[in-house]
Amino acid sequence: MIPSDQFVRFYNEVFKFLDAQGGDALEEYYRVVSGQQESHCLELFKTQGLAGMKAYWDRIAVEENCDMICTLVEDRLEITMRRCPSLSKAMDNDAGAFSRYCDHCPGWVIPVLEKAGYQCEYDMVDRSVPQCRMTIYPADQKRPSRVLLSDETPGKGSV
Amino acid sequence: MLRYRETGELHKDFHGSMNAAVEYVGRRHGREGLRAVFKATAQRVYRSIYEGLKRGDWSEWVEHGRYFMDREGAEYALAVTDDAVVMTVRTCPAVAHLRRLGLTPSEFFCDQTVLLNEAWCEGTPFEAVTEITGEGSCVQTIRRSSKVRELRS
Repeated sequence: MIPSDQFVRFYNEVFKFLDAQGGDALEEYYRVVSGQQESHCLELFKTQGLAGMKAYWDRIAVEENCDMICTLVEDRLEITMRRCPSLSKAMDNDAGAFSRYCDHCPGWVIPVLEKAGYQCEYDMVDRSVPQCRMTIYPADQKRPSRVLLSDETPGKGSV
Repeated sequence: MLRYRETGELHKDFHGSMNAAVEYVGRRHGREGLRAVFKATAQRVYRSIYEGLKRGDWSEWVEHGRYFMDREGAEYALAVTDDAVVMTVRTCPAVAHLRRLGLTPSEFFCDQTVLLNEAWCEGTPFEAVTEITGEGSCVQTIRRSSKVRELRS
């Protein structure tokens, strides 16, 4: 049994394996994971909107030992991950972190949010730093979802 | 001394994520795909356990098993003799949690144990035998390989 504590280091190896298959093997996997995540949160997001999202991520923050702040403002939910335990473990790892490890998170989150009628600006900041920011807001044609790397230096990264 | 020794909250739902991951890789890339991922996990992620086994030292494998089986609340027994370590799992916490989540274990779910043990013993003086004795129960044996036993006798 791989301990639940160490699942992310295995996940990191799955990403490396799928990436090595080429094509869009990795992106296809994110889509499948997103579909599976719907059973945990889509109904909550649809029925309770931003407050349901805050409840979901507040629970995850405790269970996954995140240092994270979720702030519900009138028209948006702002999530600031100050220390992501997932990337931290992938980096504290004798096998090394997959260079695009962070991408799986917007890869599953954004499709679920969009199915619930919301959009998201997802700033991964820097894939080699376990911090990120998300702003979630009701769907707005003028402001489509997007993923940013506001502070990443090209060429920096690991495996 | 364990290389990874997590404390704090447990997020057992990751067993559900594991179930989905092995199902995905197993269906699309077969058991050989799973074997490749578990080999990388056993020999690169858990490098210190693997290096120990290559030196003939199973102590970190034993410590890892005890620490995380205790942390996850498994019902198990672990016996160490001169020639083998035998871990008898009566209630696997991962399978039990899948059932609590209403999930059916993938046919590849126990490969995380079978293929991990196999990869840990590859190129070492040990061999792994993992017998699945029922849903959520197994007997994992790490024993000195027959060649080593012959040399010792």
